[in-house]
Amino acid sequence: MNPRRNRRPPRTPGSPLVPGPPGAPDLSRRRAMGLLGAGGAAAAGAVLLPGCGLGTGSIAGGENGAGEVTGAFDWRKAEGAEISVLQTPHPYQVAFQPLLAQFTELTGITVNADLVAEADYYTRLNTELASGAGNYDAFMTGAYFIWTYGPPGWMEDLRPWIDNESATSDEYDFDDIYEGLRTSTSWDFTTGSPLGTGGQWAVPWGFETNVICYNKAEFDRRGIRPAETFDELRELAVDLTDRSENTYGLAFRGSRSWATIHPGFMTQFTREGCVDYTLEGDRLVAAMNSEAAVGFTRKWVDLARDAGPTSWTTYDYPDCTADLGSGTAMMVYDADSATYPQNIAGNSAEAGNLAWHPGPAGPDGNYDTNLWTWSLAMSSASRNKLAAWLFIQWATGRDAQSQAVQTGELGFADPTRESVFEDAFKAGLGEFSGYQETFERVIDSTRIHFTPQTQFFENTENWAVALQDIYAGDDAGERLDALARASTDALDTE
Amino acid sequence: MSTTTAPPEAEGDGPGGGAPVRRVPAWRRGLRPYLLSVPAVLVIAGILYPFALGAYYAFLDYAAVVPEPVFVGLRNITGTLGDPVFWSSVRVTATYALAATAVETVLGVGIALLLFRAGLVGRLLERLLILPLMIAPVIAGVIWGLMFNPQFGVLNHMLGLGSTFDWLSEDRALWSVMLVDVWIFTPFVAVLVLAGLRSLPREPFEASDVDGAGWFYMFRRLMLPMMWPYILVAVIFRFMDSLKVFDHVYVLTAGGPGGATRTLQIGAFQNSITNLNFSLGSTYMLLLWVIVFITARYLVAVLGRAQRRAAGSED
Repeated sequence: MNPRRNRRPPRTPGSPLVPGPPGAPDLSRRRAMGLLGAGGAAAAGAVLLPGCGLGTGSIAGGENGAGEVTGAFDWRKAEGAEISVLQTPHPYQVAFQPLLAQFTELTGITVNADLVAEADYYTRLNTELASGAGNYDAFMTGAYFIWTYGPPGWMEDLRPWIDNESATSDEYDFDDIYEGLRTSTSWDFTTGSPLGTGGQWAVPWGFETNVICYNKAEFDRRGIRPAETFDELRELAVDLTDRSENTYGLAFRGSRSWATIHPGFMTQFTREGCVDYTLEGDRLVAAMNSEAAVGFTRKWVDLARDAGPTSWTTYDYPDCTADLGSGTAMMVYDADSATYPQNIAGNSAEAGNLAWHPGPAGPDGNYDTNLWTWSLAMSSASRNKLAAWLFIQWATGRDAQSQAVQTGELGFADPTRESVFEDAFKAGLGEFSGYQETFERVIDSTRIHFTPQTQFFENTENWAVALQDIYAGDDAGERLDALARASTDALDTE
Repeated sequence: MSTTTAPPEAEGDGPGGGAPVRRVPAWRRGLRPYLLSVPAVLVIAGILYPFALGAYYAFLDYAAVVPEPVFVGLRNITGTLGDPVFWSSVRVTATYALAATAVETVLGVGIALLLFRAGLVGRLLERLLILPLMIAPVIAGVIWGLMFNPQFGVLNHMLGLGSTFDWLSEDRALWSVMLVDVWIFTPFVAVLVLAGLRSLPREPFEASDVDGAGWFYMFRRLMLPMMWPYILVAVIFRFMDSLKVFDHVYVLTAGGPGGATRTLQIGAFQNSITNLNFSLGSTYMLLLWVIVFITARYLVAVLGRAQRRAAGSED
């Protein structure tokens, strides 16, 4: 194990340390200044970076604030406080925006929600957290980001808050959140440790399973059914592709981003029995070049070439779902929550014609599915931690989520609480053919199937680059060997 | 013409009965130059501080996941210089900067010459010409991204390319993003050169005309040498800017497919901001700065020679 990991920096005179969350290193003024300077460096050379926010903050990190909350639980314990929340426009955020007034009425806390488009969201969040300015008390985040934001002490461990009866309502029932989601947002930052160990760094707010959404009207017209195996999926997608008519079989992501790997690719990769890393002793060794992985990757890229969007290497999820909604793509292998709005009347040309299917099972019949969860987390530099926790608790609670499911303009798929799915969410699924069956088929095997690691973004983006190179003609075996070597080296030298 | 050597009048009523002159204390007179230079010092400090700090971090092992920065000397620089990915970015950046600048210069000079003596239509076109310059490159990237789309983009439709021609494939992406650069910045070259053309003296051309010189002769022997400094200024601006290209390239391809459009700026961004590896991002920026600095020094020297030549002080 790398001895540097999880090491608390020594307390030195003149370096006022503020302890960070358990399991994470503290952040000294020197380190905080360093982070600012590093951002400044990029700003100096890169004309695009000035004003990105680095260099304006103070020290990040702080004592976990849960211990300071005592007495009986009361929603109005932080009455009069004002918190800032960083969010990205998303159906979850859209559904909650009108409900914020109810939160203020309940707690007396004012919420300032700052919205940043998803394409720029993590750039903003990275620089904000790195600066340690504490401008945002709570923020939306994906589970993978915990692996990067947690070790430097930028996030508050929410476990002490959940466990503190003075800070958390009896009715909160954290265990009502699906287990795969709870474990996906928890890790101890130790190489080889599985998810679900260590602190609870975020609370899942909304989530997505990665499954097939297809144009049922077109399938019915042709008298065909969704594929049950990966080979069948390839054949079906090719059959549905007619370039002269500007239609193609299957849309899935291919852009130069880590986000290309995590939805359909990782789901099917896992179902086909492949893994990204293996633990050998105390080191992770990349395994995306195993024989099975190379075979699968080759087929996946062929699928993109033969039945995917022409400009596959630029495709992100909005491109995929837009093609499905316009009738250009016959199927999409991506997040159920991303395809869900396309079936709402008025949102797309194919609204009402779409249906869902779990996608091809693995050779052994498994439906392992990779998930994405938008979660709510607290900045460790927040100066309003109780108010921030009350907001997170309210937004991830049963009542608010039930209401968001029923009133969300773009829906709220999927709710993270089993009780909400079973009750309010199911009640509105009448027009969404196969959605409930698909969800119930995959939910028990839905979790994050990546191996947690601190180099996740760099290594996974390199994985996407490798797919693009193979798409452009590189030999899959050689390219994945090179990728595996580089990924293992990156973890060895961190 | 007369001069006076009389000493300045002392403070108070002078012999001439003029207004009293306030004597400024010596310490304040001594302080004045320093006070006047404060804004400049602040500006320089504002530039140098982040730059120096950035350069410093190129010598550390420093990332979000590294708890404490560790001084590693030249390891980042030697590691980066030995990394084929970095050299791929250098090749992409150099190709982009050279080709985009060359095309923009040729087109810009051509357009300027066409507009030079044009009438009403020319003046109208001159105003329309600068419209792309008013669009932020990020927005231009979004617009061109829609136009490049094989499924519904206007380019494939108008050019009859069907839905299978991918403008942003691995072998075409660099040229496509360069096309966007040309679209945005050719007007900049044209406007600059046009302003230069209009400032040229008429006499040499009239004299040549009287002597019976042809148009091409006058262009080659008179106009081009006198225009050369203006063209070089445009080249310097565009080349320096192209070396630092980021906006529309990132919007269109994020550096892909593979590494086809991963310029040094995009590499620095991805290392610093996406991967939170501050040291590696700083190293990229430091090396890019060295490239830009050397290139700028060379081009400015060339410009100086051209200006002297145009002024007739150097053969």
